[in-house]
Amino acid sequence: MSETATPAKTEQKRAINRLKSVYPLRNMVQQDYVTTLQASNEGKPTVWSMLNYWEGDLPLKAMGLNIVYPENYATLLAATGAAEPFLDASDSDGFPTHMCGYGRSTIGYAYRMMKENGGKIPPDAPLGGMAKPALLLGSGIICDARFKWFQSLARYFDAPEWCLEMPMMATYEGSEPELEDYQVKFLVKELKDFIAFLEKLFKQKMDWAKLEELIDLAVKIHETTYQISEARKAIPGPMHATDFWSSMPPSLFFAGDMKVALKCYQDMLAEVRERVNNKVSGINYPERYRLIFAELPPWHSLKFFDKLAEMGWNFVFESFGYHAPKPPDLSKYSDPCEKLARLSRNFMFNVFPEAKAEGIQNPIVETYLKIARGFKADGFFLHPLISCRAASCSLRTVQHWEQEKLDIPSLWVEGDIIDKRVFNPQEVLARAEAFEQTMDHYRKVRKSKGLDW
Amino acid sequence: MVTATTKGLSRAHEIYADRGRRMRELRKAGKKIIGYICLYPPIEIITAMGMVPFRIFGDMSEPITAADQVSTTVVCPFLRSIIDLGIKGKFDFLDGAVGAHTCDIGMTTIIAWRDYIKDAPFTHLIDVPHTDHAPAVDYFEGQINFFKKHIEELAGEKLAEDKLKKACELHNKQRKLVRDLYDLRKSDTPKLTSMENLEVMVSLFSLPVEEGNELLEEVIKDVKERSIKPSRKKARLMVWGPVFDNTSLYELIESAGADVVVDDTCVGTRAFWADVKAPYDLHALAQRYLVDIKCPRTYRDTQHQEIERDYDKDLDSRFNYIKKAVTDWHVNGVVLQSVKYCDTHGYEVPNLRHYLDTLGIPSIYIEHDYSERSLAPIKTRVEAFVETLG
Repeated sequence: MSETATPAKTEQKRAINRLKSVYPLRNMVQQDYVTTLQASNEGKPTVWSMLNYWEGDLPLKAMGLNIVYPENYATLLAATGAAEPFLDASDSDGFPTHMCGYGRSTIGYAYRMMKENGGKIPPDAPLGGMAKPALLLGSGIICDARFKWFQSLARYFDAPEWCLEMPMMATYEGSEPELEDYQVKFLVKELKDFIAFLEKLFKQKMDWAKLEELIDLAVKIHETTYQISEARKAIPGPMHATDFWSSMPPSLFFAGDMKVALKCYQDMLAEVRERVNNKVSGINYPERYRLIFAELPPWHSLKFFDKLAEMGWNFVFESFGYHAPKPPDLSKYSDPCEKLARLSRNFMFNVFPEAKAEGIQNPIVETYLKIARGFKADGFFLHPLISCRAASCSLRTVQHWEQEKLDIPSLWVEGDIIDKRVFNPQEVLARAEAFEQTMDHYRKVRKSKGLDW
Repeated sequence: MVTATTKGLSRAHEIYADRGRRMRELRKAGKKIIGYICLYPPIEIITAMGMVPFRIFGDMSEPITAADQVSTTVVCPFLRSIIDLGIKGKFDFLDGAVGAHTCDIGMTTIIAWRDYIKDAPFTHLIDVPHTDHAPAVDYFEGQINFFKKHIEELAGEKLAEDKLKKACELHNKQRKLVRDLYDLRKSDTPKLTSMENLEVMVSLFSLPVEEGNELLEEVIKDVKERSIKPSRKKARLMVWGPVFDNTSLYELIESAGADVVVDDTCVGTRAFWADVKAPYDLHALAQRYLVDIKCPRTYRDTQHQEIERDYDKDLDSRFNYIKKAVTDWHVNGVVLQSVKYCDTHGYEVPNLRHYLDTLGIPSIYIEHDYSERSLAPIKTRVEAFVETLG
């Protein structure tokens, strides 16, 4: 059993010991929806963007444009239980049902807005909804849906589209040092074209000084969130996965004001460090097991983690694809486009050399091996999704190599990010009990092999 | 039903039934066999290096078992089948495997290959950009150059310009011959069935280019000289979608009373319609593979940099090659088929169907899991569709 602190005493005991610093960060993304809608009502344009690992976020923000992220909005649809009529609308317009749940729900949103509501926001859209886009910004990063889904949205809107490019990360070939400058050169050309297009579309010039300032802030935000992740390695784990998911938007796509976000993350770092110093856990029960969650959570059923917390399961790390890595040193570059290219490219390019050293070809596996060692994990909670290829396709290999190299077992739970019908919490809880015995067993095995957890 | 199999078709049938046989013979004779997944590895370079490109397919009749250990079930079953066959040692005649980032799972297939398939010690993964922007074409040229350097290391020699030119000409000749073969199905009563045609196409991916060209010349001559007189069918169909390397779907459609006269799949026209243009250098290869192959995996930016978007114009720019095929082959219905979990094709479906509607061409969408047994439930729908066209 892991060393734990006495559970915090609260008037009404909550299973997860939420960080206070989470709430202002969580509110920032919600406020963004409200602000964007107000701006739209005043005639200002709204950009619909995919997560693009900062490549597009910062130029848009530097031009003062209002951005919404349908991918994020889809999580709100799921979390508020509002997704179903939007999924149905996508199905009725002929999109196959096995496709990305985020994509289907916001395609359904667009369908209902344009085909059923005469261009007005559907009345059941949470947080007031998303205004009609003036630009659809797709992205070639991470998954095919990121550009195909946005190409499909053009079926409903007359807004122009743009697809941001990104060389494929996390492969032996992509990580060759001799290719770095050539990849950056490609991204810089693409970024310059993109910015010229923004200037033409929105009839305003890029504020290059502002862009420089935002890149600088982005680096500081990522340096801070990286330090938070490092601090989370403590025993007991001071911050639960649900706190990360609630607070990630200002780091993942720079929701809200970036200066305010930086201050909020600095507050979070201070709070996490204080908990570490005082051995305060992210759950209000003794930490019996340290779990890592991969990859995307069941947004519709986050309350489910309370039940697991009551059993002493502390989710100490999660969803590596949502974590910004330690930012690169950009001080020697002067061109803001090059800085931006290098910042964005950094997301996973630095992973492969370590994967190769492990003798494994899949860098996602290496990432999770490193995380499992650093966080001294007892088990993995693997969540393959019925509707997401990118976040699911490597999970079997993660399961295999965690077991093979570190004797860490995995609980395999099929589900979905949006569609709650394919997730059965009761069944998982029943399996969780048996899984504890497995984790106990492998804790002994690891110790017998000289590992220290 | 067309019968009276000819010499060329008979050979294609044999190769289709045992795709690895000729490869094993060639390997025994000292040739290096390089497998490749999907359409995007530039096979001209493999040929020019004196090696034999072999297109890796799955097997719809082989249940996926071994791949379950390394791959989740919610991904492309075609690519899962490849991993499955690889783990089972079915590609033991390969010296190398080349993949491309054609889609998410296409990329992870070659990554999984490296960890779990012991055959083919040489592997290479080519990054394919998502767009056809000019900087993307330049970037892709760099990727092809990187692949060239890697395969030169395997060959122990540099790629000679004249050999690349000759390889491009040989592959272009094959593409021209395939187009000639397809032309033979423009007639009211084609003398070549879609099953036979697919067997020929699959054979081409299983032979050195010179032997494939000989086979095509033989098949074309035989089909032209065929004396049989097939009867006219109720419908002339096009089949669209991702990889389909098995005759079972075509059998199902033809048994419903239709001729499949043309296709837009990567085992058919998509693989052979575009030539490499002179001067046959790496930039020409980049242009051919990234821009000229019409696969939904590429975001075809038809209104790049334009601030006004016209949806119908965009659809026409993306799909007018289908309109041309519909006209040239007198198609009166389109079967959109897709393997389950194929996102790049899935997103295309409503848009393409809308486009076909504007042309007045009825269509049907069917989905399968790349197994022969998954086709049975589709039969009734296809029969009903053909009935409406009659």
